[in-house]
Amino acid sequence: MHQEVWHGLEVMDVKLNKCVIMLGLLLCIFLIAAVKASGEIIGTDEPSVCCQKTKSGQFCQDVKEADCASELKIPTSCDSTAMCRTGFCFDSVEGTCLDNVPQSVCNSDGGTWTETKPAQCELGCCVIGDQPLFVTLTSCKRQSNFYGVQTNYNPEIKDQNECLLTAGQKEKGACVFEKDFEKTCKLTTKDECDSENVLGQGIVTETTNEVQFFAGKLCSAEELGTNCAITKKTTCVPGKDEVYFVDSCGNPANIYDAKKVNDKAYWANILDKKDSCSPNLGNENSQSCGNCNYLLGSYCRESGSDTANPTYGDFVCQSLNCVDDSGEKKLHGESWCAYDSAFDFSPRQEIGSTWVDQTIKDAVANYQSKQTVSPAFLKTGGGPVGSRFYRQLCNNGEIVSEPCADFRQEECIEDKVQTSLGTFSQAACRVNRWQDCTTVKERSDCENGDKRDCTWLPGVEYTLMGSVANGTSLDTNSLVELRKQVVETASQGGIPRGACVAKIPPGLNFWQDGDAKTVCAQANAVCPVTYEKGISGGWKCVKNCECLDAELELKRAQLCMSMGDCGPKVNFVGSQGYTKGYKITQAKIGDSKK
Amino acid sequence: MKHKNYKENFSLIWMNKRGQTSIFIIVAIVIFVAVLLVYFFYPNIKNVVSGEFSPSNEIENCLQSDLKENIVTLSNQGGYLDPEGFILYQNDKVKYLCYTSQYYLPCKVQQALIKKHFEDELNSVLKTKAETCISNLVAEFKRRGYEVSASSKVDTKVEIVPQRMEFTIMAPMSVTKENTQTYDEFKFNIPSEMYNILMISTSIIDFESTYGNSETNLYTQNYPNIKIDKAELDEGSTVYTVNEVTTKEKFRFASRSLAWPGGYGRETQ
Repeated sequence: MHQEVWHGLEVMDVKLNKCVIMLGLLLCIFLIAAVKASGEIIGTDEPSVCCQKTKSGQFCQDVKEADCASELKIPTSCDSTAMCRTGFCFDSVEGTCLDNVPQSVCNSDGGTWTETKPAQCELGCCVIGDQPLFVTLTSCKRQSNFYGVQTNYNPEIKDQNECLLTAGQKEKGACVFEKDFEKTCKLTTKDECDSENVLGQGIVTETTNEVQFFAGKLCSAEELGTNCAITKKTTCVPGKDEVYFVDSCGNPANIYDAKKVNDKAYWANILDKKDSCSPNLGNENSQSCGNCNYLLGSYCRESGSDTANPTYGDFVCQSLNCVDDSGEKKLHGESWCAYDSAFDFSPRQEIGSTWVDQTIKDAVANYQSKQTVSPAFLKTGGGPVGSRFYRQLCNNGEIVSEPCADFRQEECIEDKVQTSLGTFSQAACRVNRWQDCTTVKERSDCENGDKRDCTWLPGVEYTLMGSVANGTSLDTNSLVELRKQVVETASQGGIPRGACVAKIPPGLNFWQDGDAKTVCAQANAVCPVTYEKGISGGWKCVKNCECLDAELELKRAQLCMSMGDCGPKVNFVGSQGYTKGYKITQAKIGDSKK
Repeated sequence: MKHKNYKENFSLIWMNKRGQTSIFIIVAIVIFVAVLLVYFFYPNIKNVVSGEFSPSNEIENCLQSDLKENIVTLSNQGGYLDPEGFILYQNDKVKYLCYTSQYYLPCKVQQALIKKHFEDELNSVLKTKAETCISNLVAEFKRRGYEVSASSKVDTKVEIVPQRMEFTIMAPMSVTKENTQTYDEFKFNIPSEMYNILMISTSIIDFESTYGNSETNLYTQNYPNIKIDKAELDEGSTVYTVNEVTTKEKFRFASRSLAWPGGYGRETQ
């Protein structure tokens, strides 16, 4: 005579044939964390009409009819309607262009709508003064007009970085001219050194000799004999990092260097940045040197209470760098990943089988002696309930935190590059591709990082799962079918040990109607354990006896946690649930006599 | 006795000192108040003291505080004074400038011409207030003994351009006392980096509607004075705040794009 033992995920009230004994059922229950939802009412993913204006004031949304405020509602997708199909909207005044704009929105706002991208939306390189802008032709014309300069637009340049490289390529110099019977000067490029530019539009001098260009010279150069004199004033120049001296005519001179405030040679010729004071440093808050370097995290700003006071002038190289919570210096523009602080789940992200195996072993020892699970074990399930990834950035001396998508649908990835200035880290939020993990049967497929973000849990399997228990009850027919599969698998050399799970389990919207139960139920399992009665009368386990071990129980709990916000998880502040998080039930299904 | 005289002298000296201290304190308070008055009301005081009367200054003073107040409101609410389709964030109704009610899809633009709308909203404030200010100006001219001939129609225009906001009040009037002065319009500017901020906001919305998200660090590279805060709220909403660090101006708007549901996003059947 023998008995079969089942370890499963559902409480069953089933009577099968006489030869079957149900011994075990294992039920995962869901750990619930309250997460407050707030904000506007949002739509559903079950749209029924294309609504021109919803009750919450949004235009052209696919929503339920009851949510539509407008008379204009069409029982089809908005993409199929004339009023709400999306395309490009061009602002013919400013020259801006936006994609994915509903036709009715664009027209009512005063834009020009087209279904395909119009030629006016193509970007090119616009140079205003010596500042490059990657904009449309219309925008270039408009902005050139604002600054009173001729339009300099190159539609051949199709890349923003290429456009940026064109900046400052033209040589500057002193443009000397007469105005109000006085010889004066403007620091500009040769192209812009003509009477129209320096004297104003419409004013044309009779002889070109009156406007002369001296390449590489500063307006304060004595030999030019202009009325532009040396001063002790400084200024910031648009588009430039550094603090510059400024002459009495308002022209910028060389980079601020307190030692050279009265040095006539320093005020005569344009010097390169590398020939100015401390060229390899950021010169943050330096009182004497204005050679700021944006790449090193310093930029010309007006001095104030949070900066040093320069020896001359009112401008200083302000530090844009930051110091993080651990005291580490971060450069301006640097970004890095962060997690919910109370319960760091980074070990799970960089999951290593050795770490997991050891943690499970420790947890088993702990479980057998104290009947509790250790916090380290809970980490093996990854992603505390309510947690998410964050990207932090250093920007203008402040650390800004940008959360990645909720429900851990995005993870944060980070890399460090070695530069001549040291290590520079860059981070980004990236989609978490966990969705098909549970369908993968092979370890190599599971760990294929090009396709998915999954990991292999050894020693545990999905066998006898899901379809057997739908979360609340067990289907008799499924169980019969299941038993067949088990017998078949066992005859082929035992139950395969290993399951493919999400590296970062997703969050579940378990407090509302959703798929939380279905997702968690994927870890439900039934394990048939067979006992034989010995001659002496005692029962002895003979098949699948490992299902009765604490190690398997914990591994199944780990599998359960790996499904999402399931099982014995902690929440993002590190608190455990009020219940164990899973349930094991045992039932005798039947006897068979040999 | 000697002791008593000493006490009397002491108390006299003490009284004198106390009196002097009081006078110093009073003088200090008067100076402080005068400085405050000059600081806050300099143009008006100048007019009163000198007797000069500048209609442009008068109009500017009349409008400026209201305009600045409304610029702040508009900046916090996505360019809308009374927005529909908003999300509450830090007690502000932040307008969704790009929105989709669905999951997994990029948003649809809700306001395509952000700068124009900002100007239109500000112009509506300006027009209402300008009518009152022009009436006040006419009354002031009359009080000063001028004969005023003014059109009843007041038109206004707001234009946001690089580095400033330009306000024009078209209210033709002629004033006559000894001779006649004619005014076609009154113009004044407020220094502002709002043009840049709105152009960057438009670019962010373009990213949101095209790709479903935007990379704020891109702007850090090209705009050293711009700081962008990106707050992810519930149900996939994002609130962007584009800050200009030197002028402390900002523009805040919301977007719901490429929203992700929990789990597989399926509802229970």
